[in-house]
Amino acid sequence: MKEFTEEELAQYDGKNGNLAYVSYKGKVYNVTGSFLWKEGTHQVFHRAGVDLTDALEQAPHGGEVLDKFPVVGILQDIHMPDMPSKP
Amino acid sequence: MARVAREMVEKAGINVNQLVELLVKNAAAELTTYYYYTILRCNLIGLEGEGVKEIAEAARIEDRNHFEALVPRIYELGGKLPEDMKIFHDISACPPAKLPKDPTDIKAMLIVLVEAERCAVRGYTHICNMTAGKDHRTYDLSQAILNEEIEHESWFSEFLGEGPSGHFMRRGETSPFVSKFLR
Repeated sequence: MKEFTEEELAQYDGKNGNLAYVSYKGKVYNVTGSFLWKEGTHQVFHRAGVDLTDALEQAPHGGEVLDKFPVVGILQDIHMPDMPSKP
Repeated sequence: MARVAREMVEKAGINVNQLVELLVKNAAAELTTYYYYTILRCNLIGLEGEGVKEIAEAARIEDRNHFEALVPRIYELGGKLPEDMKIFHDISACPPAKLPKDPTDIKAMLIVLVEAERCAVRGYTHICNMTAGKDHRTYDLSQAILNEEIEHESWFSEFLGEGPSGHFMRRGETSPFVSKFLR
Protein backbone atom coordinates (compact mmCIF):
# COMPACT_ATOMS: atom_id res chain seq x y z
CA MET A 1 0.00 0.00 0.00
CA LYS A 2 1.31 3.42 -0.92
CA GLU A 3 2.91 5.45 1.82
CA PHE A 4 2.25 9.21 1.68
CA THR A 5 4.28 12.03 3.16
CA GLU A 6 2.32 15.10 4.25
CA GLU A 7 3.72 16.92 1.21
CA GLU A 8 2.49 14.20 -1.14
CA LEU A 9 -0.90 14.14 0.51
CA ALA A 10 -1.20 17.91 0.09
CA GLN A 11 -1.19 17.45 -3.70
CA TYR A 12 -4.52 15.65 -3.47
CA ASP A 13 -6.50 18.74 -2.57
CA GLY A 14 -9.51 18.09 -4.83
CA LYS A 15 -9.05 21.39 -6.67
CA ASN A 16 -8.67 21.95 -10.42
CA GLY A 17 -9.38 18.33 -11.23
CA ASN A 18 -7.03 16.89 -8.59
CA LEU A 19 -8.18 13.86 -6.64
CA ALA A 20 -9.31 14.53 -3.07
CA TYR A 21 -7.55 12.51 -0.38
CA VAL A 22 -7.72 12.94 3.38
CA SER A 23 -6.03 11.00 6.12
CA TYR A 24 -7.39 9.84 9.45
CA LYS A 25 -5.52 7.85 12.08
CA GLY A 26 -2.81 6.88 9.64
CA LYS A 27 -5.03 5.77 6.75
CA VAL A 28 -5.42 7.80 3.56
CA TYR A 29 -8.93 7.83 2.07
CA ASN A 30 -10.04 8.82 -1.42
CA VAL A 31 -13.07 11.09 -0.99
CA THR A 32 -13.12 12.20 -4.64
CA GLY A 33 -16.65 12.32 -6.00
CA SER A 34 -18.32 12.62 -2.62
CA PHE A 35 -21.14 15.17 -2.62
CA LEU A 36 -19.78 16.49 0.67
CA TRP A 37 -16.22 16.99 -0.64
CA LYS A 38 -16.85 19.02 -3.77
CA GLU A 39 -13.78 20.99 -4.89
CA GLY A 40 -11.92 19.43 -1.98
CA THR A 41 -13.86 21.35 0.65
CA HIS A 42 -16.07 19.88 3.36
CA GLN A 43 -18.60 21.94 5.33
CA VAL A 44 -16.75 25.22 4.69
CA PHE A 45 -13.95 24.57 7.18
CA HIS A 46 -12.16 21.41 6.07
CA ARG A 47 -9.85 20.91 3.11
CA ALA A 48 -8.70 17.78 1.33
CA GLY A 49 -5.00 17.01 1.17
CA VAL A 50 -4.46 17.09 4.92
CA ASP A 51 -4.60 14.86 7.96
CA LEU A 52 -7.99 15.24 9.66
CA THR A 53 -7.29 13.18 12.78
CA ASP A 54 -7.36 16.19 15.11
CA ALA A 55 -10.20 17.92 13.25
CA LEU A 56 -12.41 14.85 13.55
CA GLU A 57 -12.12 15.01 17.33
CA GLN A 58 -14.12 18.25 17.14
CA ALA A 59 -16.51 17.15 14.39
CA PRO A 60 -20.20 16.32 14.96
CA HIS A 61 -19.49 12.82 13.63
CA GLY A 62 -16.88 10.15 14.15
CA GLY A 63 -14.30 8.62 11.85
CA GLU A 64 -16.79 5.93 10.83
CA VAL A 65 -18.10 8.27 8.12
CA LEU A 66 -14.87 7.55 6.24
CA ASP A 67 -15.49 3.79 6.21
CA LYS A 68 -17.43 4.02 2.95
CA PHE A 69 -14.45 5.53 1.11
CA PRO A 70 -11.60 3.47 -0.34
CA VAL A 71 -8.31 3.43 1.55
CA VAL A 72 -5.55 4.30 -0.92
CA GLY A 73 -2.55 4.32 1.38
CA ILE A 74 -1.10 5.17 4.74
CA LEU A 75 0.34 8.42 6.05
CA GLN A 76 3.96 8.41 7.10
CA ASP A 77 4.19 9.01 10.82
CA ILE A 78 6.43 12.03 10.98
CA HIS A 79 5.36 13.10 14.46
CA MET A 80 7.84 11.28 16.67
CA PRO A 81 6.90 11.23 20.34
CA ASP A 82 9.26 13.00 22.70
CA MET A 83 11.51 10.26 23.97
CA PRO A 84 13.85 10.76 26.91
CA SER A 85 17.43 10.39 25.76
CA LYS A 86 19.15 7.31 27.08
CA PRO A 87 22.29 7.83 29.12
CA MET B 1 -27.76 43.91 6.33
CA ALA B 2 -27.78 44.49 10.08
CA ARG B 3 -24.37 46.19 10.27
CA VAL B 4 -24.01 46.44 14.02
CA ALA B 5 -25.39 42.95 14.56
CA ARG B 6 -22.73 41.62 12.19
CA GLU B 7 -20.04 43.63 13.97
CA MET B 8 -21.08 42.15 17.30
CA VAL B 9 -20.69 38.65 15.93
CA GLU B 10 -17.29 39.50 14.44
CA LYS B 11 -16.16 41.03 17.73
CA ALA B 12 -17.14 37.85 19.51
CA GLY B 13 -14.52 36.06 17.42
CA ILE B 14 -16.59 34.41 14.72
CA ASN B 15 -15.52 34.48 11.09
CA VAL B 16 -18.83 35.80 9.78
CA ASN B 17 -18.10 34.99 6.14
CA GLN B 18 -17.55 31.34 7.05
CA LEU B 19 -20.66 31.31 9.22
CA VAL B 20 -22.76 32.80 6.42
CA GLU B 21 -21.41 30.22 3.97
CA LEU B 22 -22.40 27.50 6.40
CA LEU B 23 -25.89 28.98 6.81
CA VAL B 24 -26.34 29.19 3.03
CA LYS B 25 -25.27 25.54 2.65
CA ASN B 26 -27.74 24.50 5.32
CA ALA B 27 -30.50 26.60 3.77
CA ALA B 28 -29.77 24.75 0.53
CA ALA B 29 -30.00 21.44 2.37
CA GLU B 30 -33.41 22.41 3.76
CA LEU B 31 -34.90 23.51 0.45
CA THR B 32 -33.53 20.57 -1.51
CA THR B 33 -34.70 18.18 1.19
CA TYR B 34 -38.16 19.73 0.96
CA TYR B 35 -38.07 18.98 -2.77
CA TYR B 36 -36.76 15.41 -2.48
CA TYR B 37 -39.11 14.63 0.42
CA THR B 38 -42.00 15.64 -1.84
CA ILE B 39 -41.03 12.80 -4.18
CA LEU B 40 -40.48 10.39 -1.30
CA ARG B 41 -43.86 11.25 0.20
CA CYS B 42 -45.61 10.68 -3.11
CA ASN B 43 -44.06 7.21 -3.27
CA LEU B 44 -44.87 6.24 0.32
CA ILE B 45 -47.82 4.11 -0.63
CA GLY B 46 -49.30 0.73 0.20
CA LEU B 47 -49.84 -0.81 3.60
CA GLU B 48 -46.32 -0.02 4.83
CA GLY B 49 -45.78 3.28 3.04
CA GLU B 50 -48.99 4.94 4.17
CA GLY B 51 -47.94 4.53 7.78
CA VAL B 52 -44.80 6.59 7.19
CA LYS B 53 -46.37 9.17 4.88
CA GLU B 54 -47.70 11.45 7.60
CA ILE B 55 -44.40 11.91 9.42
CA ALA B 56 -42.57 12.32 6.12
CA GLU B 57 -45.01 15.10 5.32
CA ALA B 58 -44.49 16.79 8.71
CA ALA B 59 -40.72 16.62 8.24
CA ARG B 60 -41.06 17.95 4.68
CA ILE B 61 -43.09 21.00 5.75
CA GLU B 62 -40.79 21.68 8.72
CA ASP B 63 -37.70 21.53 6.52
CA ARG B 64 -39.26 24.15 4.28
CA ASN B 65 -39.92 26.21 7.41
CA HIS B 66 -36.25 25.88 8.33
CA PHE B 67 -35.29 27.30 4.96
CA GLU B 68 -37.68 30.21 5.48
CA ALA B 69 -36.29 30.86 8.95
CA LEU B 70 -32.64 30.74 7.86
CA VAL B 71 -32.91 33.17 4.96
CA PRO B 72 -33.45 36.38 7.01
CA ARG B 73 -30.43 35.56 9.19
CA ILE B 74 -28.25 35.07 6.10
CA TYR B 75 -29.16 38.52 4.81
CA GLU B 76 -28.87 40.17 8.23
CA LEU B 77 -25.29 38.95 8.39
CA GLY B 78 -24.52 40.38 4.96
CA GLY B 79 -24.88 37.16 2.99
CA LYS B 80 -27.16 36.25 0.11
CA LEU B 81 -28.55 33.25 -1.71
CA PRO B 82 -26.97 32.21 -5.03
CA GLU B 83 -28.87 33.57 -8.02
CA ASP B 84 -28.65 30.22 -9.82
CA MET B 85 -30.73 27.50 -8.19
CA LYS B 86 -28.57 24.76 -9.73
CA ILE B 87 -25.60 26.16 -7.83
CA PHE B 88 -27.72 26.37 -4.70
CA HIS B 89 -28.61 22.69 -5.02
CA ASP B 90 -24.99 21.65 -5.49
CA ILE B 91 -23.63 23.51 -2.45
CA SER B 92 -26.07 21.82 -0.08
CA ALA B 93 -24.62 20.80 3.29
CA CYS B 94 -26.25 17.38 2.87
CA PRO B 95 -26.42 14.95 -0.05
CA PRO B 96 -29.67 14.77 -2.05
CA ALA B 97 -32.32 12.60 -0.35
CA LYS B 98 -33.08 10.77 -3.56
CA LEU B 99 -35.73 8.13 -4.10
CA PRO B 100 -34.19 4.66 -3.68
CA LYS B 101 -33.83 2.46 -6.77
CA ASP B 102 -36.76 0.37 -5.57
CA PRO B 103 -39.37 2.88 -4.37
CA THR B 104 -41.52 0.06 -3.00
CA ASP B 105 -38.75 -0.77 -0.51
CA ILE B 106 -40.02 1.16 2.50
CA LYS B 107 -36.98 0.31 4.61
CA ALA B 108 -34.74 1.82 1.94
CA MET B 109 -36.98 4.91 1.96
CA LEU B 110 -36.65 5.18 5.74
CA ILE B 111 -32.86 4.89 5.51
CA VAL B 112 -32.81 7.81 3.04
CA LEU B 113 -35.03 9.82 5.39
CA VAL B 114 -33.11 9.07 8.57
CA GLU B 115 -29.73 9.74 6.93
CA ALA B 116 -30.97 13.13 5.72
CA GLU B 117 -32.09 14.00 9.25
CA ARG B 118 -28.82 12.78 10.75
CA CYS B 119 -26.88 14.99 8.38
CA ALA B 120 -29.01 17.94 9.52
CA VAL B 121 -28.55 17.08 13.21
CA ARG B 122 -24.78 17.08 12.73
CA GLY B 123 -24.88 20.34 10.80
CA TYR B 124 -26.92 22.30 13.32
CA THR B 125 -25.00 20.85 16.25
CA HIS B 126 -21.88 22.22 14.59
CA ILE B 127 -23.47 25.67 14.12
CA CYS B 128 -24.70 25.68 17.73
CA ASN B 129 -21.23 24.77 18.99
CA MET B 130 -19.71 27.48 16.85
CA THR B 131 -22.11 30.25 17.88
CA ALA B 132 -22.82 29.41 21.53
CA GLY B 133 -22.20 32.45 23.69
CA LYS B 134 -21.03 34.45 20.67
CA ASP B 135 -23.86 34.90 18.18
CA HIS B 136 -27.01 34.68 20.24
CA ARG B 137 -29.49 35.07 17.40
CA THR B 138 -27.93 32.45 15.10
CA TYR B 139 -27.56 30.14 18.09
CA ASP B 140 -31.21 30.56 19.04
CA LEU B 141 -32.32 29.86 15.48
CA SER B 142 -29.98 26.89 14.98
CA GLN B 143 -30.98 25.40 18.30
CA ALA B 144 -34.68 25.68 17.39
CA ILE B 145 -34.03 23.95 14.06
CA LEU B 146 -31.86 21.33 15.78
CA ASN B 147 -34.74 20.48 18.14
CA GLU B 148 -36.99 19.71 15.20
CA GLU B 149 -34.33 17.79 13.26
CA ILE B 150 -33.72 15.56 16.29
CA GLU B 151 -37.43 14.82 16.45
CA HIS B 152 -37.49 13.96 12.75
CA GLU B 153 -34.53 11.63 13.19
CA SER B 154 -36.21 9.86 16.09
CA TRP B 155 -39.45 9.35 14.14
CA PHE B 156 -37.74 7.62 11.23
CA SER B 157 -35.37 5.75 13.54
CA GLU B 158 -38.40 4.38 15.39
CA PHE B 159 -39.86 3.03 12.15
CA LEU B 160 -36.53 1.36 11.41
CA GLY B 161 -36.82 -0.52 14.69
CA GLU B 162 -33.89 1.26 16.35
CA GLY B 163 -35.96 2.13 19.43
CA PRO B 164 -38.88 4.30 20.48
CA SER B 165 -38.88 8.02 19.72
CA GLY B 166 -40.51 8.67 23.09
CA HIS B 167 -42.96 11.23 21.81
CA PHE B 168 -46.15 11.65 19.86
CA MET B 169 -46.87 12.95 16.41
CA ARG B 170 -47.36 16.66 15.92
CA ARG B 171 -50.79 17.83 16.94
CA GLY B 172 -52.02 20.73 14.87
CA GLU B 173 -49.36 23.25 13.92
CA THR B 174 -45.97 22.23 12.58
CA SER B 175 -42.59 23.60 13.72
CA PRO B 176 -43.18 23.96 17.49
CA PHE B 177 -39.65 25.29 17.95
CA VAL B 178 -39.03 27.28 14.77
CA SER B 179 -42.45 28.92 14.41
CA LYS B 180 -41.37 31.92 16.49
CA PHE B 181 -38.97 32.84 13.67
CA LEU B 182 -41.69 32.65 11.07
CA ARG B 183 -44.21 35.08 12.52
